[in-house]
Amino acid sequence: MLRYVINRVLLMIPTLIAISIIVFLIIQLPPGNYLESYIAELQAQGESVDPQKIAFLRKEYGLDKPMVEQYLYWAWGMLHGDFGYSFEFNLPVSKVIGDRMLLTIIVSGITIVFTWAVAFPIAIYSATHQYSWGDYGLSLLGFLGIAIPNFMLALVMMYLANVWFETSIGGLMDPEFVGKPWTWPKARSVLEHSWIPVIIISAHSTAGMIRRLRANLLDELQKQYVVTARAKGLPPRKVLYKYPLRMALNFFVSDIGSILPHIISGTEITAVVLSLPTAGPMLLNALKSQDMYLAGSFLMFLALMIVVGVLVSDLALMALDPRIRLQGGVTR
Amino acid sequence: MNPPAIAQSARELEHFVSEAPFDATSATRLTPQQERFYLASQWMLMWWKFKRHRLAVVSAIVLLLMYGSALMTEILVPYNLHTRHADFIYASPQSVHLIHEGRLVAPFVYELKKTLNMETLRREYWEDTSRRYPLRYFCSGDPYRFWGLVDMSFHLTCPAEGATLFLLGTDRLGRDVLSRIFYGARISLTIGLIGIALSFVLGIVFGGIAGYFGGLPDLIIQRVIEVIRSFPELPLWMALSAVLPVTWGPLLVYFGITGILALLDWTSLARSVRSKLLALREEDYCTAARLMGARPRRIIARHLLPGFMSHLIASATLSIPGMILGETALSFLGIGLRPPITSWGVLLNEAQNINVVALYPWLMLPVVPVIIVILAFNFFGDGLRDAADPYR
Amino acid sequence: MIARTARFACSLFVALMLACPAGAEEPPMLQPDVAAGKLPPLAGRLPNPPLVVDLKRPNWTQGAYGGEMRMLMAKDRDIRMMVVYGYSRLAGYDEQLRIVPDILEKIVNEGSRVFTLHLRRGHKWSDGQPFTAADFRYYWEDVVNNKELSPFGLPQALMVRNRGPRFEVLNDTTMRYSWDEPNPQFLAALAGPSPLYIYRPAHYMRSFHAKYIGLAKANAQAIVAGSRSWAGLHQKKDEQYRFDNPDLPTLEPWMNTTPLPSTRFVLVRNPYFHRVDASGRQLPYIDRVTVAISEEKLIPAKAGAGDIDLQARYLRFDNYTFLKQNEKRNKYRVQLWEKALGSQIALYPNLNVDDPHWRRLMRDVRFRRSLSLAINRHEINEVVYFGLGKESSNTVLQRSPLYRPEFREAWIGFNLKAANALLDELGLAKRDANGLRLLPDGRPMEVVVDTSGESTEETDVLELVRDSWRKIGIALFSRPSQREVFRKRVYSGKSMMSVWTGLDNGIPTPEMSPRELSPTAQEQLQWPMWGQYYENNRKGGQAPDMAEAIELVELYDAWRVSASDAEREKIWLRMLDIHAQQVFTIGVVTRALQPVVVSNALRNVPTEGIYSWDPGAYFGLYHPDTFWFDPKGRR
Repeated sequence: MLRYVINRVLLMIPTLIAISIIVFLIIQLPPGNYLESYIAELQAQGESVDPQKIAFLRKEYGLDKPMVEQYLYWAWGMLHGDFGYSFEFNLPVSKVIGDRMLLTIIVSGITIVFTWAVAFPIAIYSATHQYSWGDYGLSLLGFLGIAIPNFMLALVMMYLANVWFETSIGGLMDPEFVGKPWTWPKARSVLEHSWIPVIIISAHSTAGMIRRLRANLLDELQKQYVVTARAKGLPPRKVLYKYPLRMALNFFVSDIGSILPHIISGTEITAVVLSLPTAGPMLLNALKSQDMYLAGSFLMFLALMIVVGVLVSDLALMALDPRIRLQGGVTR
Repeated sequence: MNPPAIAQSARELEHFVSEAPFDATSATRLTPQQERFYLASQWMLMWWKFKRHRLAVVSAIVLLLMYGSALMTEILVPYNLHTRHADFIYASPQSVHLIHEGRLVAPFVYELKKTLNMETLRREYWEDTSRRYPLRYFCSGDPYRFWGLVDMSFHLTCPAEGATLFLLGTDRLGRDVLSRIFYGARISLTIGLIGIALSFVLGIVFGGIAGYFGGLPDLIIQRVIEVIRSFPELPLWMALSAVLPVTWGPLLVYFGITGILALLDWTSLARSVRSKLLALREEDYCTAARLMGARPRRIIARHLLPGFMSHLIASATLSIPGMILGETALSFLGIGLRPPITSWGVLLNEAQNINVVALYPWLMLPVVPVIIVILAFNFFGDGLRDAADPYR
Repeated sequence: MIARTARFACSLFVALMLACPAGAEEPPMLQPDVAAGKLPPLAGRLPNPPLVVDLKRPNWTQGAYGGEMRMLMAKDRDIRMMVVYGYSRLAGYDEQLRIVPDILEKIVNEGSRVFTLHLRRGHKWSDGQPFTAADFRYYWEDVVNNKELSPFGLPQALMVRNRGPRFEVLNDTTMRYSWDEPNPQFLAALAGPSPLYIYRPAHYMRSFHAKYIGLAKANAQAIVAGSRSWAGLHQKKDEQYRFDNPDLPTLEPWMNTTPLPSTRFVLVRNPYFHRVDASGRQLPYIDRVTVAISEEKLIPAKAGAGDIDLQARYLRFDNYTFLKQNEKRNKYRVQLWEKALGSQIALYPNLNVDDPHWRRLMRDVRFRRSLSLAINRHEINEVVYFGLGKESSNTVLQRSPLYRPEFREAWIGFNLKAANALLDELGLAKRDANGLRLLPDGRPMEVVVDTSGESTEETDVLELVRDSWRKIGIALFSRPSQREVFRKRVYSGKSMMSVWTGLDNGIPTPEMSPRELSPTAQEQLQWPMWGQYYENNRKGGQAPDMAEAIELVELYDAWRVSASDAEREKIWLRMLDIHAQQVFTIGVVTRALQPVVVSNALRNVPTEGIYSWDPGAYFGLYHPDTFWFDPKGRR
């Protein structure tokens, strides 16, 4: 088992290297570079740019070097904790993304917990009361969660929240609390603002999880051992909790691996629309303006989060499911 | 046994002896229903099981209607895609009335009149109830070229002469929203189909190789899958669509976007193919085929795949909503399709600003067909999946 | 900004005021610091003489101190807008668009060749250090003539026929720049929204300069801070326009105290600001400005929700109805200012396009005229601009002294017959089965217009143009692409036509540079290669080979060495006339309107104004330092 763990951790390394190369390539693929988009943007607003300054900056940022050299410079730096330089902010990348990544992790974490808390009971209820009105109703709600494009919802919900509840539009808190230390009013403002993003982001994954969990539970409930247990006279609730639920729990844990990318990605789209101070909006801007080290580092962080998350879920699954342990790691 | 003992117990028991002639197969004969059941092919069984899931059947019908309408859009809707009315910008939806002065009459609309509010710079519309304009049916309206071949102007319903029929209102250039939603269906629905076809092929090929051969190919493909799955989707889409050459015309861009969506979607299919193959390749019939000299491609395609093709189809169907949402999201963010191509995502992109939410909410209606299609595909896929393994 | 005699009187008045210790009122925000001795009292902070601002606008009054002005921007980079709005310049434009001294006390201009600049005595930077000729000398000797900091030499605006000026320091507060030939763009460059900075805070910048702290130390310092060399670090710290260095002293009315990145920037008053009102009270009135960063699409929503006190950027004309609707509820008023663009949207036929057939057509004035005649400007005005715009070619606005009605009206009537006739005359009479005209080589005439795909306004106008061009047998396709790609396509000749805003400066006076009208820069979409030729000093690009374009270049060169206003006016009028006749760019509608949201409590913001980048600096022209909050208003 230890070998499996070490194996998996070691396998992460080539994966991450491959991801970093692909990320870098993709950022470099669109024609032009940061300076060109900077110039174009200024010109779009009627400002002109001193060509001498641009030439100076080009040398300074190393944009005149070949791509391979730029990549190696970045990759090598990353191993030392130096994530490169952000042209947009005139600062090292590490100073720029610190706060944002933290908030991304927090929001994603809350969303996952919310998803769990909501999906679990609903799935159990649905599976045990199959074909009842409750089942149909909850399923419909779940499906709506999947079907409605969440970014569409975001704008409407924000507008309605502003009209009905006087919540200020956008952001995670009222503007006067930004940058100030944590106080009770600030926390309340954050709560007031965060229910919209959390609902929107989690709608999709909650619905998906409910359906998959319900399907799995239904599978389990039809197995022989459940029938036997019932035939032998165990009360239904005990039957449910003691056996099938444990099996379903495995699935639950392993499902994190599949919903994590969706949550992180969904967080971004929603963050852009709602103007949240998480990774999403900054990443999108960096991609648009080709601020390559910033965008690359962001993507690496997000990918790292996902890879680690999947690893953790696989390890947790292994801990929970003896079959996997004993069969040496054939995953689902 | 002693004959007298049997005869004695036969006398003591209540029994019934049939007068009918002896029929050797009576115990094993099937009733007509059972016979049909046991003799039915796999696909028949699947169909019966599918029919039992009523919601799936309804969804299938809805989808059929939608795709069917995409073939005949020009005929179904009152206006062409680009028809605009400079005098009716941001008109609110018109209602069709059936009752006039207490009597039931043919469906009609009132005339839409406009005043310019120079205070708020808003066009205000109201219905002038003095004149009725009955709708025309099977009439001649905006001319178009049907399927690019035949010049026609036949429409199912048109507004009366000199009147307008804006059932869902108009947008900022005075274009009818209902017509545009129908035209948008063409692009949005087909992107899903084409994309899924691509990703189907990719998934089977890669999953097949990984599952059948195992070892090094398996390891490599698994890593590739992991790398792809570890990417946050949105930035990857963004970056990839920024790569599409600008010189491409709208149609090529459309296929490019489809390709991008497919490229990122085949992983789940590949994984399920792989796991199924890993299990199935140890089966005897597979070993037999191998010993008889069949090449791996034949074994996979002819022997292994058909075993779980139904599962694959179900999975594929369930991925279509993801594609449709993906295209909607990309166009919504402005990095997918752009006008003049019209898809639901493009329509929603044009509706994503505060003006629309506060003042012209009917422009958000394209979200309804998106929801319907996604729900329909989900239920349909559910039904297919339930039906996929009819022997359970 | 006021006339000379009045200024003298006021300086006298202020000098008298300064003589009395308990004179003008201190801004309450600074009183504690002054009382504690951390800041010198008012007399010690103002220059002598300060600039007295007494505007003769209707509804303009002296104001009360205090308040916090909230604004919204979409990117961290936009913090530079506070330098634009603050508009504290060596010399700036007044509301009559004349350039008058601002930071400088006096400018002696001899035939636009020799400029003697006089600073105000006792003027200080925002950190209290003196602002003197030493700061100009630092720029001249240690920045712009330093090979490592300026490897590419002097900025364009300081060069006349490729020669820089002679720079002399006459005394502590007087400098002189002299050229052999006139340099009329010098003052305009100093007065620009993104100005030419010919000074630096020397006392601060020295600590990053190798000459003053030694090469080894400078380089070591740079590496620690993440730059490659001391020059890089110096450059990074030196961004007066970017406004991203809170430690950098400034002369603007508010100084930025928040480093990047941030979602909220706080700017506080500059205690050493050089302007006062007529009562001798130091400006600005407003204590603090907060700039919050928000997603661009949300800004109209937030403005409508009352989250801001002053906002124009990122608000579009089509947001007006929504903003108007929420006026009463959220206690603001939304005004419409006139945009100073030559045309809100203009088409730029690319005279340097690759394709020989299209090039021949684009260069033929009859083709351009027919395209212009086939645009139904009235309909576009009604549909997109609510009928509030004015149909026009791409030329100067009525406000400008250079306006002539015939410039605006040239070739803008909607006349399909005449347009068709011109095209027939060009030999394009053959049409295909769909009614499209054919090029001489048989291809149907399909004009592909490149756009940067950013505004629905452009898309809408193109849609309308497409319909009317169809009637003269020309198909229009629009191709949106990312901005850089869009520009590349134009520069390289692959694009045959593009769409953009019209003239940036629609309200020029003869003193302002007519460079937009002449092929002078690669970024000009109608003749990128001719522009590149000029910009790179006749290396690269192509030389203009059209008589009118050559004449435009000659006229521009003549303006650059012109000595009198009369001469300049003649040059301008001739250039505008050429443009009107030649239709090098096709304008559509002008006098487009810009919504400006102003909180009910904010005073001294003009109800009507022009919204222009150069001249005008958006709000800068109207003195935001004199805006003030009325406690009886909303707050």
